[in-house]
Amino acid sequence: MVVCTKCGNPKVVISRKQSGQFLCSDCFIESINKKVQQTIRRENLIQKGDKVMVALSGGKDSVVTLDILNSYYKRHVIDLCAVTIDEGIKGYRNEGVSIAKAHAKNLGIEHKVVKFKDCFSIDLDEIMEYENHRGSCTYCGVFRRWIINRTAREFNATKIATGHNLDDESQAILMNYLEGNINNLSALGALTTSKSPKFTPKIKPLREIPEKEIGLYAIVKGLDVHLAACPYAHESFRMEVGNILKDLSKQHPTIMYSILKGYDKIKPLVRENYPPQFHQGDCVKCGEPSSNELCRACTFLEELGHEVQL
Amino acid sequence: MSYKVIFKDLNEERELSGKTTIRNLLEDLNISSETVVTKQNGEVVIEDSQIEDGDEIQIIQIIYGG
Ligand SMILES: [Zn+2]
Ligand SMILES: [Zn+2]
Repeated sequence: MVVCTKCGNPKVVISRKQSGQFLCSDCFIESINKKVQQTIRRENLIQKGDKVMVALSGGKDSVVTLDILNSYYKRHVIDLCAVTIDEGIKGYRNEGVSIAKAHAKNLGIEHKVVKFKDCFSIDLDEIMEYENHRGSCTYCGVFRRWIINRTAREFNATKIATGHNLDDESQAILMNYLEGNINNLSALGALTTSKSPKFTPKIKPLREIPEKEIGLYAIVKGLDVHLAACPYAHESFRMEVGNILKDLSKQHPTIMYSILKGYDKIKPLVRENYPPQFHQGDCVKCGEPSSNELCRACTFLEELGHEVQL
Repeated sequence: MSYKVIFKDLNEERELSGKTTIRNLLEDLNISSETVVTKQNGEVVIEDSQIEDGDEIQIIQIIYGG
C-alpha cells in the first residue's frame, strides 16, 4: 500500500510522476503553498505594503490564487482586493460571478463586478452576433485587459494578480516561439511591468503549478469553484499547442517545467534585442496607454459601432 | 458485486468483476486522467486506488478544452 512520502498517512491524494512522490491532502496543500511562496520570493512578486488586486473569475485558477494570497493578507503583509468581469455570456458567467462574490465576502475584501455592457454598451453575446467579428477570445482578451487596468487604478492597487498556471505559461512560450513572435515572447514572465504609470504591474503567482494540481488543490481544500467550459471556447492554435504539451507530458512529466525554466534563462537575452513595445502615448478616446492614436479596445468598438462609456 | 459512478450527467451502477482500479475505470470511460480528479466514497484518491463492492466513485472534470 502507498503512503504519503512526507508523513506516512495512507490517504494519498496525488502521485507525482515527476518526483515519484505520494502526498496526503495536508502535505499536498503545504507543498503547493511552499512552491508558490518560493516563486513569489524568488521573482520578487510582492513587497510588504502592496495592494494586490486579483482578477477573480470564480474559476479554479483565480480562486486558488486568491486563497494563497489570502495567507499574506491575513498576516498583514499585503492588502487584497478583487475584480470580476462579467462579459455577458448567457448561461455561463453568472455562476462564476456569484462564486467570486461569495469568496470576496468570505474574506472580507473589496470586490467589484464590472460588466462589458456598462463599459462598452455591448456585451460578448451581442458582439458574437456580428457577421465579421474577430473571434470571441480576441475581444475578451482586449476588453478584459482594458477593464482590469482601469479597475486596478480605481482600487489604487500596486499589483494585479492573475491565475496563469504552468500549462498556460508553457503553452504561451511554445506558441509564441512556434509563431516566431519574439516581441510577444519577451513580454512573458512571472512579473510584467511597464514604463507607463497607468499600467499596474502584473504578477502570476501560480506560474509554476501544473493546472491539474490547481484543480486538485481547490477540490481537496473544498474551495467552491466554477468548473465549466466557456461556450465560446473553440479549436485554436493555442489549444493545439496545449494538447501537444499535455500529450508530451504523459511520457515526459517535467516538460512544461523545463520549457518555463529554459525560457526564464533566455529571456534577458531576448529582451536585449527585442524589447517589449512600450506604449508611448494615450488613446485619444479613452485615455488608456496606447502605441497608436486609438487603443485596441477603442479600435474594436469603433468597428462594432460602439464606444467606451466613460 | 457493483459500484456507482457519477460523472457529469452519468450516474450508473456498474458491475465489479475482479481487480479494478480507478485507472481501469477512466480508461473504460475514455476519460483522460490528466483532466479529472476522482473521489472514492467522498475522498480524493489516486488512480491506483482499487474499487471495492458498494463504492461510490465521483469523477470531477477540472480541465476543459484540450
Ligand atoms: Zn502527508
Ligand atoms: Zn481607447
